[in-house]
Amino acid sequence: MSEKNYGEKKFEYNYRDIVQPNYRHIGKYMPRKEAKDIVTGKATFLDDYSVPDMIYGKIKRSPWPHADIVSIDTSKAEALEGVRAVITHKNMPQKWGLGLPVQRLLLEPRVYHVGDLVALVAADTPEIAEEACELIEVEYHQLQPVYSADEALAEGAPQLYERFPGNHVDNGIKYFQPDGPWWQIIRGDCEQGFKEAKYIAEDKIEFNQMPVPGAPETPSVIARFDGIQPDCVHKDGVPNFTIWASSQSAHIMKLMAEGRIPNSNVNIKTFNVGGSYGNKQSMMTAALSASMLAMATKKPVKLVLTKEEQLMAYEVRLGSTMYAKVGMDEDGIVTTVEGKWLVDTGAVGDSVQGQVGVGLGEAQLVLAKCKNWYMDSEIAVTNRQQAGIVRGYGGQELNSCLERLLCAPMKAGNFNPLEVFKKNYISPGDCFTWRDGRNWKSRSSFFFPEAMQKAADLFGWDKKWVGWNKPYWVSEDGRKARGVGMGVIGNADISEDNTEAIVRIIPDLVGKRASRVVIETDITESGMGTRSNACKIAAEVLNVPVERVIITEPGSQYNPSNYGLCGSRGVITTGKAIANAAMEAKKKILERGAIYFKRNVDQLDTKDFMVYVRDNPEMQVPMFKIWDKEMSVVGYGKHLEMFDVPSCVSLFVDVEVDLETGHTEILDLATGTDIGQIIDAKACEMQLEGGWGSACIDTATFEENVLDKQTGRIMTSNMIDYKWRTFNEFKPFNAYVMESQIDSFMFKALGVGEVSGAAGASATLMAISNAIGADVKEYPATPAVVLKAMDKI
Amino acid sequence: MIKQDHITITINGKRYKFSVGDGYGEVPPNETLADTLRNRLGLTGTKISCNEGACGCCTVIVDGKDAVASCMALTVEFDGREVLTVEGLEDPVKGLDPIQQAFIDEYAFQCGYCTPGIIMVAKALFINNEHPTPEQIQEALSGNYCRCISQYTVLRALNKLAGNEDAELANIVRANDEIENPIPVRQVLHLSPYANGSSSSHSID
Ligand code: FES
Ligand code: FES
Repeated sequence: MSEKNYGEKKFEYNYRDIVQPNYRHIGKYMPRKEAKDIVTGKATFLDDYSVPDMIYGKIKRSPWPHADIVSIDTSKAEALEGVRAVITHKNMPQKWGLGLPVQRLLLEPRVYHVGDLVALVAADTPEIAEEACELIEVEYHQLQPVYSADEALAEGAPQLYERFPGNHVDNGIKYFQPDGPWWQIIRGDCEQGFKEAKYIAEDKIEFNQMPVPGAPETPSVIARFDGIQPDCVHKDGVPNFTIWASSQSAHIMKLMAEGRIPNSNVNIKTFNVGGSYGNKQSMMTAALSASMLAMATKKPVKLVLTKEEQLMAYEVRLGSTMYAKVGMDEDGIVTTVEGKWLVDTGAVGDSVQGQVGVGLGEAQLVLAKCKNWYMDSEIAVTNRQQAGIVRGYGGQELNSCLERLLCAPMKAGNFNPLEVFKKNYISPGDCFTWRDGRNWKSRSSFFFPEAMQKAADLFGWDKKWVGWNKPYWVSEDGRKARGVGMGVIGNADISEDNTEAIVRIIPDLVGKRASRVVIETDITESGMGTRSNACKIAAEVLNVPVERVIITEPGSQYNPSNYGLCGSRGVITTGKAIANAAMEAKKKILERGAIYFKRNVDQLDTKDFMVYVRDNPEMQVPMFKIWDKEMSVVGYGKHLEMFDVPSCVSLFVDVEVDLETGHTEILDLATGTDIGQIIDAKACEMQLEGGWGSACIDTATFEENVLDKQTGRIMTSNMIDYKWRTFNEFKPFNAYVMESQIDSFMFKALGVGEVSGAAGASATLMAISNAIGADVKEYPATPAVVLKAMDKI
Repeated sequence: MIKQDHITITINGKRYKFSVGDGYGEVPPNETLADTLRNRLGLTGTKISCNEGACGCCTVIVDGKDAVASCMALTVEFDGREVLTVEGLEDPVKGLDPIQQAFIDEYAFQCGYCTPGIIMVAKALFINNEHPTPEQIQEALSGNYCRCISQYTVLRALNKLAGNEDAELANIVRANDEIENPIPVRQVLHLSPYANGSSSSHSID
């Protein structure tokens, strides 16, 4: 039960009182549309696809983190039989920029990170292209590199780009913040807040290992130059491209590509995506490289990054350093947050401002009762590999620092963290500033604290929480100790970005089979089941079997706009547009039915392509008997951006630490959430379990990108040296899922995938500290870090 | 390796004769089995991810029993041998392999990129041992990378097949199942007032 004060009146909310709807499809498990194709190997991914007359691209990459290209000789490569084009900064056909705002060109006489682009090669086979790359002779003059935001922003630091004086990336971007840049939470009076605080802590915490999300399918594209077409604005015409991509969002890729290739018109097509975790979106370096080669050779060019290229040079998590001071009152309410968040975006800053906005936004969801804020942020470019979008989107990176710092006042006040998180988390009516820089008031769940408590009960928190820096169990020989920790995070992006859809009920021409429903919208499948859930939603509204609903192939050109998969928005926003479109189609057919039956529209309903009278179901007529001959019934629907229904995921971690070796093992995990309404039972389960993956929970103990500061190279750019959790290391997982029917859209669901594992890293450090009886504040808490915290080394 | 100008491999029950050499259309001695399957035969169900034997995505079954990472195997070494890929698992008459069906029933995949490899490793395990223990299943799959985290549902599917009904690592509790005497479900759909996204003065209409 949860309570809420509204002025004088006190309301009680009992979960049992929420009337649960009775859906035909929603909430149940239904095998995905592509399930059979996936298990039989027929599902097509980018690299399984070819286009006629296609050739292959490869990238010559820099071995140095920061260097001038003194000379470059491509003559041997060009002379190799089968080579179609070699492009360097000297002979680029056009000057295409990179970054947001554009900060550099695709190819420059200078390289900014190991793996940066030096030359592009297209050849008849991938082997020839690779050989040609090796034949390119380059002489470099090395420059001083800089590897962290701290260093890069310091006075006198080596400079990367002219566009960013002091390596300082523009704080805001119009696209993310339509009213002007927003990068600071400034509210209330921090001085007053500290006066009200009983416990105050100040620290610097880093989450800087820049781990890789690690999709199994590498970023890959096929680009085709479709020639220059006449245009009414540009009298020289505009270049047209078709790009097939392993991107999870055709829309985002189009948006970015058209911003980089001057005056271009780009048609993006996507396939099944072999994992992305937010990471394969615009894929600008790959997409622009292949497009430039396609333009130069007039042939379609396939560019598939190798695993090593993906790990060494593709986008990773943001680096995050937080200097902050927090105050907490005697009840465990946070009264003040004051500090600065330094963000390392690596050598290219591309949509980082959105991530910073979300990170700051999520901090306010966790500490929603805090009235006094001065939280600043600064973004730096460095000579590390480019950071990009990764599941958690800035939130995980800041949360991992902030919640670790919060442990200090909680410990000082000897609070049970479960109670503190329950009290501080956002409830309906609380306000926050989101990444658009605007203020929003939550109208989300009242039951988040209850979901935290229920998950804690499943986990056995009450027995295992024995106080700060205290193990709840120590082995008889004193060698092993166990401790627990927890974290909470949420995200308000589930209703971000505008999206539209058309739903057509198409007639059955010969009159003997069932009709079909076609959904037109641009949505890709990257594993979450979004396309199947979209069909489910249309089927529910029209009350037809899901098998009769199909959805158009994803792609930007022939579909209504859909921003695509990001921020846990896929099912919610696409679902909303589709539900509205289906409602409109339904309304049209019911209006026809009203004339036919001489009844009011409200008295009619549809089922399995029939219109019937609700209180006399015998009165029914096939839809297409009363519709225009051979025409479809068409509805249009849209979703418009909002940020007022934040989600919440709590995570509980139980660890065992070997006190002699410092090795940590996670024993089990529990999570709790109120998801509003489950759309698909098993898909929901996997969204929650997914928190183990994509550089989330394990970034606390062993996942990291190891940088050799001597050479600027990543020492973990293969799947043997980069550590990941194997099948036999998976541990018991408990989840508690509430469905309180949150008013997000017709089917009352929230998305949680973005943050399902995002609080796991800080929770794990808390657990380790409790197990060993000493504070661990360093990510990842490798054996060496743990032993150091225990003063053993 | 014996130097010869052609090799014969039976793949999914069909015999293929390949010329070995550097000429057009010939299989060069350094071509991997994964490339032959994918690029020559169009059997793209076998996926390449790491291309260095670390992730298991490219697993095929050789001679009816061994799981082999095809990205690390040279095609010329398979002369006279039998290779089974994920495309060959489904029986044209009997339908899907029980493992494939179990993967659909339990939703044992997300993006599905790692799935063919996982299915082939599981198949090899079940060929050699019809009732593996939960630990044996986890061990057998320890070389398979899945970043989407389908591990829990994969293990559920395979444990059910193996007869390990009680082996369950994940426990998902739906609050609705815990309610005693729930309020009867409602019959009709109610449109959300927010269904049109126009309620907020902040939305960009
Ligand atoms: S692709 Fe063969 S093991 Fe990874
Ligand atoms: S299902 Fe995507 S990696 Fe396994």
